[in-house]
Amino acid sequence: MIFNRFAREARKCVEAAVEEARMLGHDSVGDEDLLLGILGAGEGRAAEALSSLGVTLEGARDESEEMLSGALSSIGISLEEVRREAGDAFEMRIPDNRRIPFSPRAKKALERALSEGHRLGDNRLTSEHVLRGVLRVEDGMAVRILGGMGVSPETLEERLFELRGRAAG
Amino acid sequence: MDEKTRTRVGGPEDPREGLEAVVALRRTLEALEAAQVENAIVAGWSWARIAEVLGVSKQAVHKKHAGRIRERYRGEPPRREERGA
Repeated sequence: MIFNRFAREARKCVEAAVEEARMLGHDSVGDEDLLLGILGAGEGRAAEALSSLGVTLEGARDESEEMLSGALSSIGISLEEVRREAGDAFEMRIPDNRRIPFSPRAKKALERALSEGHRLGDNRLTSEHVLRGVLRVEDGMAVRILGGMGVSPETLEERLFELRGRAAG
Repeated sequence: MDEKTRTRVGGPEDPREGLEAVVALRRTLEALEAAQVENAIVAGWSWARIAEVLGVSKQAVHKKHAGRIRERYRGEPPRREERGA
């Protein structure tokens, strides 16, 4: 199993990602949920880089919901109206008894996290590698969420390198 | 928020947008079904009557929703339990 090589910090991100997916009604854990998981776990260089660029968990969740409501409005459906019509019982959350698989993009991101670890010569996989993996998913949702918040993958990677340099002293 | 959404979402001529609309609709449909089944139970409807309107078996709708609704109204069932559901 891929997760065996993940350090506690990276595993925490993945666990938080599953919880984010469940809360947002994502029937699979997507690459954007990994991004939310990194923010939710709030540990390590990845969380530091993100917060230094103004990316917050709340902001990223809002952006994700905006993408959902944007997709619905492209086919003439208003999420607001659906919500109003259904009343308080309406929530996107996926019931606890339903399992949520990892999406192909999330799997790709985790595989790339591993290759990033190798490439950088790190023997423990941390939140930084998960974030780098997420940034390497072409056409991914996470990259689009970040874009919506005005942060490009290049800027983030630069910031990660800066933080890395600072840690190395 | 509206302006942002409008600039990001174009027409269905873009396959990705079309497919993403399907995903969004599926997620919304699931949430809407869960909410309306819950609303019906709270309104006193039986599982059999709900199933009839949804056009599925009573077993199917009970299996999918009963646990979640019971969990939500723990200790104070919204209405009397129907036996044999």
